[in-house]
Amino acid sequence: MGTSRWERFRRFVGPDPRGDVEDELSFHLEMRVRELVERGETPQRARELALRRFGDYESSRTACVEIDERRRRRMVRTEYLTELRQDFGYALRMLRRTPAFTTVAVASLALGIGATSAIFSVVRGVLLQPLPYQAADRLHVVQTLYPDGTAYPALSAPDFMSIRESNQVFEQVEAFSGATLTLLGAGEPREVQGATVSDGLFEMLGLRFAAGRGFVREEFQPGQGRVAVLDHGFWQRQFGGDATVLGRTLTVGGEAYEIVGVLAPDAQLPMPAEMYAPLEYGPTFSATTGTGRRSEFLGVLGRARPGLPDDGIDADLGRIGTLLQSEFPQTNGRLTFSASGLGEMVIGDVRTPLLVLFGAVGFVLLVACANVANLLLARISARQDELAVRTALGAGRGRLVRQLMTESVVLGVAGGAIGLLIAYWGTRALIAAQPADIPRLDQVGVNGTVVLFTLVVSLVTGLLFGVVPALQATGARLMTALREGGRGALGGAGHRARAGLVVAEMTLAVVLLTGAGLLIRSFIELTRVDPGFQPERSIAFRVTMQGDEYGEAQQIRDRVAEVLERLGSLPGVTAGAGTSLLPMSGRGSLWDFQVGDAPPPPNVNAEIGIASVTPDYFRAVGTRLVRGRMLSERDGNDAPRVALINEAGARQWFPNEDPVGRRVTTGGVEREIVGVVGDVLQRDPGQPAMAQLYLPYAQRTTRSVRIVVRTAGDPLALAPDIRTVVRSLDPNLPLAELAPLEQLVASSMARPRFYTALLALFAGLALLLASTGIFGVLSYAVAQRTREIGIRLALGASAGGVVRMIVIRALVLAAAGVGLGIVVAVAMGRVIRSQLFGVSVIDPLTLGGVVLVLGASAVAASWLPAQRAAAVDPVNALRE
Amino acid sequence: MAYPAPDILRGTFDLLILKALSWGPAHGYAVGRWIESATGDALEVGEGTLYPALHRLEERGWVSASWGTSENNRRAKFYSLTSAGRAQLRVEVANWRRYAAAVFAALEAPALR
Repeated sequence: MGTSRWERFRRFVGPDPRGDVEDELSFHLEMRVRELVERGETPQRARELALRRFGDYESSRTACVEIDERRRRRMVRTEYLTELRQDFGYALRMLRRTPAFTTVAVASLALGIGATSAIFSVVRGVLLQPLPYQAADRLHVVQTLYPDGTAYPALSAPDFMSIRESNQVFEQVEAFSGATLTLLGAGEPREVQGATVSDGLFEMLGLRFAAGRGFVREEFQPGQGRVAVLDHGFWQRQFGGDATVLGRTLTVGGEAYEIVGVLAPDAQLPMPAEMYAPLEYGPTFSATTGTGRRSEFLGVLGRARPGLPDDGIDADLGRIGTLLQSEFPQTNGRLTFSASGLGEMVIGDVRTPLLVLFGAVGFVLLVACANVANLLLARISARQDELAVRTALGAGRGRLVRQLMTESVVLGVAGGAIGLLIAYWGTRALIAAQPADIPRLDQVGVNGTVVLFTLVVSLVTGLLFGVVPALQATGARLMTALREGGRGALGGAGHRARAGLVVAEMTLAVVLLTGAGLLIRSFIELTRVDPGFQPERSIAFRVTMQGDEYGEAQQIRDRVAEVLERLGSLPGVTAGAGTSLLPMSGRGSLWDFQVGDAPPPPNVNAEIGIASVTPDYFRAVGTRLVRGRMLSERDGNDAPRVALINEAGARQWFPNEDPVGRRVTTGGVEREIVGVVGDVLQRDPGQPAMAQLYLPYAQRTTRSVRIVVRTAGDPLALAPDIRTVVRSLDPNLPLAELAPLEQLVASSMARPRFYTALLALFAGLALLLASTGIFGVLSYAVAQRTREIGIRLALGASAGGVVRMIVIRALVLAAAGVGLGIVVAVAMGRVIRSQLFGVSVIDPLTLGGVVLVLGASAVAASWLPAQRAAAVDPVNALRE
Repeated sequence: MAYPAPDILRGTFDLLILKALSWGPAHGYAVGRWIESATGDALEVGEGTLYPALHRLEERGWVSASWGTSENNRRAKFYSLTSAGRAQLRVEVANWRRYAAAVFAALEAPALR
């Protein structure tokens, strides 16, 4: 019963409990058989007897194998844990022994990981967290789709009813509409943001109530809807969270509402409001009516049936659009509908910039990793002897790699722990900075997910920067180190790896610097855009005239005239005017538009932005007249209808013609264009001006009016006087949004400023880390080559020559990084193209700047090592 | 023919194995033979149960095993007592003596009055 050679070999290679047990048991049987044969039994009989005496061979064998396997597993585990504990203790000792290295490494990692976690917490809160509605991923915003392809997220009441009644894709379709209302009888008159909601909106979104109830069906009938549900925050602010508020009366916009409910703290519409009332289902809320179809004032949300294909919704809405086109050609002739996901609507335009930032911060982390890998390589070169001795004492390569990796994981986790603190402070700072209308910032914070993310990043980071040095250090050349007495055994390969890492760091830094440079250039371009008005030394505010005192348009006009007259007599005021629309605040209402009797050209929106202004408006905001005349006091309500058009409108509707004197029809009224005014920014500086028509305020009077006052001095100093004037004329008139016009410009720049500043910060961080990398490599090289440098000096090389040699070395590394980096940066340019303004992805100025900055950093980083090299004493160096 | 050892004998069996090994390293067959002769074949348990018992003792760290060559030049697994096993043997021997003394005392005690 011999075992095959193969079996023996296998057992030699690894433990084989099964074979061993088999051997042991058959040995026993063999011995017994021999004994029995010696006693005179035949071999045949002896074998039978032996087996019988043995009993149940199989179960005995199985029991032995099981016990052995169990024992082996436990031993492996114990051994592993023991080694891990040893490695861990050893790592801590080694790191404590080199505090400078440990500090630099942990600081690098903490910065990288902290920045990554901070941005991740923003990305999670803003982009990843689902919206706080039930079935949020099935909620869609229904839009009106105009002939030129622009979509506007609002519907008219009849179109809403048509879609509500004949769509086949939504389980439910609901609507809401916002309004600014004046709140009286609660101290200072103030404005309240109100919204009217359709009968199933709260229920569809799954909004809960803290107290009271929602609206019932009858309350949606005209005249029955004087009931209100309060937003939780408004309830807290206005009523101090008083539970007895239910049943009380709230007087807003000249109407008394009975408070019937309060929403839960986290319950909010996509368009937040302070109080909600039932949407009044007037006569236009009908799928069959033709009137009111072109008055789009409803935000419409639909909840899709589960499992719809992506294009199913748009197809069905298109079908309804076509149906309405043939049914109501006058109003719906050229319109149709589309939908986009609610989440997309809320976060759509911040996704790209946030992801760019996240990518950038990932680059910073990679640079930090490369930096620490570099430090580790240098350190491991210095530890060659130790490693060689450990190998000689029997530690396998795997064992050494594991021990070195333990060190890097300890570093990674330490960096992660401090990084978490940085992320915590960083996130708080970000939120405090209130970066211009980034939605859902309230969701951002360091929570369990972020901590978990940080932990994973720390571990992965530790493995990432640890693996190259560990493999490098324990490679085949290790044993030669022992033989050669350790002097520079890693030499060439180690140095190449380190140079490679530095080049990689430089490359990443160049990509980030290029991105930051492009954004900075865009930002400068944005600030250079002529806004078309002069925001300096002017201040604006809004008043909304509601209630019995303002029943007639003439009463409103009179009050505006009084306000302007009183303000005009204040010292220092040079101009004052009223308008329905300030610069950089959109295009106002969009009205249909027709020149003469000509039918509208195809694929053009036959519409124009409408603003009402008092005669002095353009003088007050500082916009020039291009041709024709300004509006005057003579363009009153009884005078012929007139209008001014902006240059963009003149270009669009009167190419190569003079619009002055031409007649246009808008809102069913024919007007004569009497002048052309300069374009004024309507949104932010990155967007071109669009057609805008200015009507005399006397001919189109709005309840809500913005007053602009231009002064010779500090506009803010005027604020108290403005309040006094308005209060003296009507103490019930709330004064809102009192702010200098310059603030409009500043806030339009807030978002690009925020992204640019962050990206510049990350790029700077990457540059700093990469420079440390160059510094490290050169310092090490100088230390290693002291002897060689000494010989050079002894042979007559000048100190200047040595300095030059080191600096050139730094520049070569930087040049490699810059070359690679620019290639990568250009290739990645399209990622930020949508964020750029007035500058192309390949911008010579930016690229030149990056090359200069990198070169300068390389020279700066090499300065100290170079000086040290030049100071080498040839005699000492040679004696060593 | 082997009959199932009563539970009380299970522990005793381990004790005997430890005792067998106290004279020096031995392979399983030798341990079995020693127990046979030392007990006069009174404890006729299946030889098969000897091996799981040996492996269990090895798992507990009371005996250690290594491969060697038998008296007839065959590869055999030799067991020897570890120091922990030696200590265990002392404890078990003491226990067994106390136990046996108690049982004997009881068996020889006068009748209940």
